[in-house]
Amino acid sequence: MTRAYLLRRLLAVLLVLAIVTFAVFAITTMLPGNAAIMILGEYATPEAVAALEKQLHLDQPWYAQYLSWVAGILHGDFGTSLRLSLPVTQVVGEAFVNSAMLGATALVAVTITAIPLGALAALKRGTGMDLGLGLFSYLGTALPEFVTATLLLVFFAAPQHGLFPAGGFVAPWEDLAGFGAHVVLPAATLGLVLMAHISRQVRSEMSEVLSSDYIRAARLKGLTEKRVIRRHALPNSLAPAIAVISLDIGYLLGGIIVVEEIFAWPGLGRLLIYALENRDLPVIQAVTLLLAAVYALSNLLSDIVIALLDPRVRYA
Amino acid sequence: MTLQTMTQDVIAAAEKPALSIINYSLSYKTANGLISALKNIDLTIPKGKTVGLVGESGSGKSSMAWSVMRYLPPNAVETGGAIRLAGEELLDHTPWQMADIRGKRMSMVFQDPSTSLNPTIRLGEQIAEVLMRHRGLTKAQAWAEAEVALARTGITRPKEMLQRFPHEASGGEKQRVVIATAFACEPELIIFDEPTTALDILTARQILDLFNQLRDETNVSALYISHDLGLVSRVVDEVSVLHKGVIVERGLVGEVFAKPSAPYTKQLIGAVPNPDRFIGVDAPAEPKTLIKLDGIGVHYGAPSKIQKMFWPEDAEKVGFWGAKDVNFEVRKGELLGVVGESGSGKSTIAKVLAGLQDFQGNLEIEGKTVTGRKAIDRAYRRRVQIVFQHPDASLNPRQKIGTIIARPLKLYGVVPREKIKARIAELLEMVRLPAEYADRYPHQLSGGEKQRVAIARAFAAEPELVICDEVTAALDVSVQAAVAELLVKLQKDTGAACVFITHDLNLIRQLAHRIAVMHHGKLVDFFDRPDARSEDRDPYTKALLDAVPVHTPVEAFEIA
Repeated sequence: MTRAYLLRRLLAVLLVLAIVTFAVFAITTMLPGNAAIMILGEYATPEAVAALEKQLHLDQPWYAQYLSWVAGILHGDFGTSLRLSLPVTQVVGEAFVNSAMLGATALVAVTITAIPLGALAALKRGTGMDLGLGLFSYLGTALPEFVTATLLLVFFAAPQHGLFPAGGFVAPWEDLAGFGAHVVLPAATLGLVLMAHISRQVRSEMSEVLSSDYIRAARLKGLTEKRVIRRHALPNSLAPAIAVISLDIGYLLGGIIVVEEIFAWPGLGRLLIYALENRDLPVIQAVTLLLAAVYALSNLLSDIVIALLDPRVRYA
Repeated sequence: MTLQTMTQDVIAAAEKPALSIINYSLSYKTANGLISALKNIDLTIPKGKTVGLVGESGSGKSSMAWSVMRYLPPNAVETGGAIRLAGEELLDHTPWQMADIRGKRMSMVFQDPSTSLNPTIRLGEQIAEVLMRHRGLTKAQAWAEAEVALARTGITRPKEMLQRFPHEASGGEKQRVVIATAFACEPELIIFDEPTTALDILTARQILDLFNQLRDETNVSALYISHDLGLVSRVVDEVSVLHKGVIVERGLVGEVFAKPSAPYTKQLIGAVPNPDRFIGVDAPAEPKTLIKLDGIGVHYGAPSKIQKMFWPEDAEKVGFWGAKDVNFEVRKGELLGVVGESGSGKSTIAKVLAGLQDFQGNLEIEGKTVTGRKAIDRAYRRRVQIVFQHPDASLNPRQKIGTIIARPLKLYGVVPREKIKARIAELLEMVRLPAEYADRYPHQLSGGEKQRVAIARAFAAEPELVICDEVTAALDVSVQAAVAELLVKLQKDTGAACVFITHDLNLIRQLAHRIAVMHHGKLVDFFDRPDARSEDRDPYTKALLDAVPVHTPVEAFEIA
C-alpha cells in the first residue's frame, strides 16, 4: 500500500468530517422552536430566556455560533449538557463505550458466523442447506429490529424461565457474566439482519470465485480441496464482504438506536433519543458528529483491509 | 507380487502409450435432452510425442481436455469408452485418486494466463504449492525448486519473479509461470489448451519455442489443442482434426497438411490466409486522399487542468499515450491495413477516426479540417462508419436485426421512410443473409452471421470509409475467411475505403493495398503490400513477420 493512497483516503475522511460538522450544525440550529424556551418551559420570564440565549450564544449570528462550536470541538470541548449539567464529553463518552461494546459484540459474532455460513452456502450451492440458509437470511433481512427483538424477548426472556434478562446493562468490568447475559439479546437482534446481509454477500462472491479460471487451474494442479477453498477461494471472496461489513457499521449505528431503546441499553442511541426529547442541543450535535465519524472511519478501515487482501488495489 | 512380475509391469508400462483414448463418447444433459459432444474418439499419444487436436469452436476439443483431466461439469454423461494414462484406466478412478494424479502425472497449460493465475497469490507460491502437494517438499525446498523451474522457462531473474503478483508480470511471463508449474513435477503428460491464443504475436512465438525446447529436454508427452492448424504444424508430430465431436482426419502433420482427405480438413486448410494470394479489390487507379491524419495523439489519463496548474512538469509524464504523433492518409477506395500487438494504439486510431475518442492534432477529410472530437459533425459521422470486434457487444440484444439496420437509415435519412423495409432486405442480401433475418434477434444468429449484420449496419449509411477493428479476431478460421471475402466484395460494389485493423499479418497481406505498423502508440512503418519483405522495413516489422508462420501446404510439407 502506498503512502500516497493512505494519505489521499485520510484527507477524504477529514473532508467528509468537516462537511458533516457543518451539516449537523445547520440541521440542529434549524430545528423549529426556540431552544431556550424549550429548556426553561413556556412560563419562563423573557429575562431568563434572554439570559439563557446569551449563555448558549443563541443571540449571535449563525456563523459565529458555528465557528465557536467547531473551535470548541477542536479543543475537545463539546460544551455542557443542558439537561444533565455535565460536560458533553463525559456524557457522550460513557454512552459511546457502552454502545461500542454492544456493536462490537454484534459485529464480531456476526462476522465469525456469517462468513463460514456464506462460504458453506456457496460450496453447497443448489442443495437443501443452501436453500435453508437463503430462507433464513431473507427472513432476517425482511424483519425489522423491533419484530426480531420482540420475538427474541418472547422466546428467551419470558418470565417463566428467564433465560436472559429482558433489558438493562451491567458493565463487564464489574460483572463479566452479567454483561454477557445482558448483551446476548440486543446483540442477537442487531446481528440477525447483518448476518443475512453478510452471508449473502460472501455466498455470491464465493460462487463467482469458485467458477473462475484460477480455481479450476488450482484444482487441476491436484491441490487438496481444503487448500483450494482456504487459500485460493476464501481470501478472494472476503474483500467485498469486508466492504459490506464496514457499510453495515453504518446500518448498525441506526439499528442501535432502536435496539438500545427496546433493551434499555444506556448507549448512544438512548442518549440521542433522550437529548432529542429534551432539546439538549450540545448532546445532539456531539452524538450525531460521533456517529458520522465512526461511519467515515469504518469506511477508511475497510479500504485499508481490502487493499491488504487484494494486492491489485494497493496501486489504485 | 514377485520382483519378476513387478519388473514385467514396469516394462509393460514403459511400452504403453502415454495416453490412449479408446472409443470414447461424451454427452451433456441439457433442457433439450442429451447433446452429444464427443463421438467414438480414438486418440493415442505415444511416449515422448506431441499430438495436436485441431478444431473450431464447438468442435468438442475442450471437452476432450476436461475428459482426460477428469474435470467434467455435473451435467456431463460419459457414454462409453476408455481413457488410459500409461495403461491405467482413468475412468475408474475416484476424485481423490485423480487429485493425486493431476499436477503430478498429468498437468495442464491454459489459454489465458491472466485468468488462470490467482490474482492475490504470489507467483512463487503458485508454483511451490504444487511441489509441496505432490513431492512433499517443505516450503523452503519448494520455493528453491520453483526458482529452478522458472529459470528453465527462460525467465531472467526468477528469484525476483517469484515474489511478484500476477498483475506485476507481463502476459508472456505469466504464461511461463503456468508452464513452469505444469512441468514442475515432471509429469508424463501435459495438455496445452490454446496456450498462445491470448498472447501477442512475438510473445506467442517465444512461448512456442519454449514449448519445443522443454519438450526436447524432458521428453514429455503432450496433447496440444488449438484452432489453428498452421500453428499446430510447428509443434506436433501427429494431428487429429475434430469436427462436431468426431475425429474426421488423423495423421502425420505434414501429410495432413499436404494431402488432406476429409472435406472439412480441406476447407480448414483453404481458409488459412495465404499472404501470397491477394484477394482484395484492385487498387484505385489514381491515388486521391480521403482522410489525412495530421499529428494525431491520444493521451489517456491525462492530468486535469488543475493538476497541470500545480504540477506543469507532469503534463507529459502522467497518464499514458495511446497514440502519439501519428501521421498517414487513407486513400479513396483503398484497403489500408493497420497492424500491431495489443496496446500498440491501433484501436485508439480506430476510435479517433470514428469520432469516439478525444484527440490532439487534426483530421483532414477531403480538405476540410477537423480539430477535435467535438468538432466532428453529422456529415463526417455518416461518411465514416465502424465495425467492432465483438458483434455480441456491438449489437443491442433487445433489438431485432431489422431495427438495428434501420437505425442508420433513419438517422441519416438514407432512403425515404416507406423504402426502409426494402432497403433492409437489400442490405441483408448484400451481406448474404436471408431477408427473414430482419425479424430475428441477435442471439438467434451465429457469430459469423452477427458480424455480417454489424457490417450491413456500417454499410447502410453508405459511407466512404469503413473502419474494421479486428472484425475477424473473434471468429473461427473458416468464418473469418468468408467475412474477409464479403468485405472485399462490398468494397468492390460500393467503392468505400476501408481501414482494416488486425493483428493477423497473413490475413492483412491478402487484403490490404498498403500496411501501417504501430508499436507503443507510434507509427513505426508504412509500406505498400508488395514491399512487405523488402530490406528497408523497420526491424519491428521484420520481427513481426518472422514470428508468424506462413503455412502454405507446400512449405508445411517441406518441414515434415
